[in-house]
Order: sequence, then C-alpha cells, then structure tokens
Amino acid sequence: MTREEIARMVSQAVAAILPAVPAASVTGDRHLRQLGADSVDRVEIITWLLERLGLSEPLAAFADLPDIDAMVDLLHERSRR
Amino acid sequence: MSQSAPAPRVGIEHLNVYCGLVKATVPAIFHGRGLDPSRMDNLMMQERSVGLPCEDPVTNAVNAARPLLERLPAAQRDRIELLVTSTESGLDYSKSVASYVHDQLSLSRHCRVVEVKQACYAATAAIQLAAGYLAAGVSPGAKALVIATDVALVDEHAGYAEPAMGSGAAAVLLSEEPRVLALDPGAFGCYSFETLDSARPGPTFDVADADRSLFTYLDCLTNSFREYRRRVVEVDFATTFDFLAMHTPFAGMVRAAHRKLAREYAPELAGRVDDDFRRRLAPSLSYPRIVGNLCSGSVYLALASLLDHADVATSARVGLYAYGSGCSAEFFSGVVTADSVAAVAAMRIGDQLAARSELSFDEYAALVVENRQCLVPERDRRVDPGRFTERLASFGQPREVLVFTGTKDFHRGYEWLPAGAG
Repeated sequence: MTREEIARMVSQAVAAILPAVPAASVTGDRHLRQLGADSVDRVEIITWLLERLGLSEPLAAFADLPDIDAMVDLLHERSRR
Repeated sequence: MSQSAPAPRVGIEHLNVYCGLVKATVPAIFHGRGLDPSRMDNLMMQERSVGLPCEDPVTNAVNAARPLLERLPAAQRDRIELLVTSTESGLDYSKSVASYVHDQLSLSRHCRVVEVKQACYAATAAIQLAAGYLAAGVSPGAKALVIATDVALVDEHAGYAEPAMGSGAAAVLLSEEPRVLALDPGAFGCYSFETLDSARPGPTFDVADADRSLFTYLDCLTNSFREYRRRVVEVDFATTFDFLAMHTPFAGMVRAAHRKLAREYAPELAGRVDDDFRRRLAPSLSYPRIVGNLCSGSVYLALASLLDHADVATSARVGLYAYGSGCSAEFFSGVVTADSVAAVAAMRIGDQLAARSELSFDEYAALVVENRQCLVPERDRRVDPGRFTERLASFGQPREVLVFTGTKDFHRGYEWLPAGAG
C-alpha cells in the first residue's frame, strides 16, 4: 500500500470515528488532538487503522508522534515489513 | 488422610472500601476549571471523592478495614498473619503506612507488616503473593489483609485527569474461606515493561502523559490476556467470563479496553459489543463512576460495584484486570456466588457513598490546594480536626472515623471521631 493510500485511510478513520470533523481539516501537519480527538477517540482511530492494515503494532508506538504525517509514516513503514 | 491433599482454595473472604466523607461532581469541576464539556461523554464519570486535610493514607486504610474486621470474631482477627499496605502515597522513605495501620487496627504483634509500591497495580501483586502464601499451607487457617490506600494530589494542571481522580482505600481480606471471590488457581497473565506514563516524583505532585498511559494500559491488557489464555485451557473472551472488572482510571477507558479485547479476541461479538459492555462490565463501573480513580484499590472497588449491581444467581466467573503505570499489569480471574453478593452487601458500600456531602466548586478547589501538603514530611505539625466538625457531621451515615491530628517529632498522631451526627 502506498503512503498516499494510507493517508487517505487516515481521513476515512477520522470520518468514521469523528463524523463532525470536516474532511478538509485532516491535514498532515496537524495532530489528531487538534481535530478535537480526545485520548479515547485517538485509540479508536488508531485501532481502526491497525485493524484494516492487519498490523499488531503496540499503541504506545503512537504516543510520541507529533502530527498526522508522522502517524502515516509509521503506518506506511510498518505495513511494508 | 490423602497423601497429597489438594492445595486449599484461597481468595477474598471480605472486601470493603472507604471513599471519604465529601465529594465533588464532575460537571462542577468541568465548569469551574473551564474544561470542554463535550469531553464528559468519553470520560463517563459523575462524581469524585475528595479527602479532607485531617485524612491521609493511614486514615483511609483504617477506615476501610475497621468495619470489615469488626465483623470477625477476635480469634479470627488474630489469624491475620500478614498486613500489606499498597500505596503510591507513602509517608516516609523507611517507615511504612502499614506500621500505623497495624497499630490502629490492633492487629496481632505476630503479624508480618509491609508496604508495597507499583502504582495502581501494587495491591494485585500483594494479593497474588499473599494468595500464594496461603495456598502453600505453611500456616493453615492464616489470613492476610491487603489494603490499597491513596490520596489524590491532582489539581487544575492535570487537565481532564483531575475530575476523574478519587481518594480512599480498599481493604481485602484473604483466606482459605474465599466467600467474596475464589481465585482461579494458576489462572493469570502478567505483562510488564519500563515506561514513564505517570509517576509521583515528589510528595506534592504527579507527572502524567495521558496518551502514553492510556495506550500502555490497553497494550498491557492485550498482552496480559494473551498470556492468561496461554496458561489456561479453552479460554474464550466472549464466554468464559460472566462479568469483568477492571482498573478504572475513568470509566470511558474501560469501555475502550472492552472494545479492544472484543475486537482482538472475540470477533463474533461484532455488532453486539455495546450490549456485551452493558451486560458484563457496566455493573462494575457504578461505584468507580462516583468515586474516581482509587489507584491500586480501583479494581477492587470495581469488584464491589459488580457484586452490588450484577445479577449473580448462583455462581459466576469474573475476569479482573489490574494495571499500574511504570508499568505492570495482570489479567486474572475468580468465581463469585450469591454468598459473595450477601457478604459485600453487608458492608453497605452504596449507603456510605451516598452519605458523602457535596462540596461547592470553591470549597473543592480550596481543599485541592490544602491536600497537596498531605504527604509533605514535617517534624511538628498540628492539624486541628475541630475545623472539620461540620464536615464530619454532614456525612449522611453515623460511623466513627479515624482522623489525622498532626506530627510530633515526625511521629504521626491519630484519633477517632464520630461522623454523621448532624
């Protein structure tokens, strides 16, 4: 899966968990927190993505990521393993 | 007599909690601190217990354990051969909270006395070690008393963790007569690794990384349940456990934990996850939602809540999950019966919680500031319990409470006062 496909998948995840967030606001330079996702929402978004990508990455790997770009990079890197 | 008698069934004989005399509501704290009310849905918390400046980890522990010990004949009280306090609210680097608790509860001088620490997991570690001691049969008929006791130090800097933090203690009496919960022998799964998700580096403050803590709690749940399943034959998350009770930093976290385990280990629950949560987990959350996070006592508050709210007709298997920052976690299980329900109901925990008087936000905020000094060592300090006479009187149930009166040359002083007289 390409990085762009994973980035699109992140937008789908946000739309699924937080339907009120406008799609255009999901940009790579933002953190999920800035989109109004609290910690429980973030868990839902990350597990939604891991499930669809068939990954079993620990959630803790996502704790320090500065923005959505970094999350896409991590998911992309792991999905190529 | 058989040559190899089976190991005695051990577990929890009695269980009680003490969750303070006063409370604040979560909406009042949200309003007073200017927190975003839309976050309340995922927090799933209603009220939190708040300590008074004449309360400390010793008084909380003793006030939880005494009503339980009063129900035991003196000869059985003297069979308590191990007292463990588990706390992240230590009062001294050397002298344990347990030493004061041992004295205030007038336990036998032949009792082992010790304090343990591993954040919110510590009480479960102590319970498992004590259960192993009891099952070893080296002192037939012995009992062990484990008391998880803590005070809260959070203030407005803790953000959304502040309204979810509790204060109080859970007292767990273990023996070969496991009336409240018979532990399933050998049925456990542990998972631990070093991380800094939350900690208490000094006596006046906590540090916490809310995301990391939530994520490691969930990672540890997945891994400790996997280990439990490796050790125990034919485990099915959807059917093995009639009920579940988990460490509850906030109820929304337990909902997230249940969703994650269901996704990973019981895909057949898809579409029914919310119903399953309501049926198997919601009874355990009633008390945690009105007390707040009780640290290592939290999972036992959840167990008490379960027994006071679930329909346990004959017998039921309960899966329990304990997590402590730092981090260490365990998934384990046991069996409860209708007799367990009767044993916990006799402690009237719901009445004690309903009896707490409600603080205004200003009263609450002032107490938060004063309570941050609770664990600060001072050579000589006078705490006048007379300041709190009205607060004690406004408690809705008559009872005696142990209060802290101060220190004299670092030695802590306590006295018993009536509450609920007003």
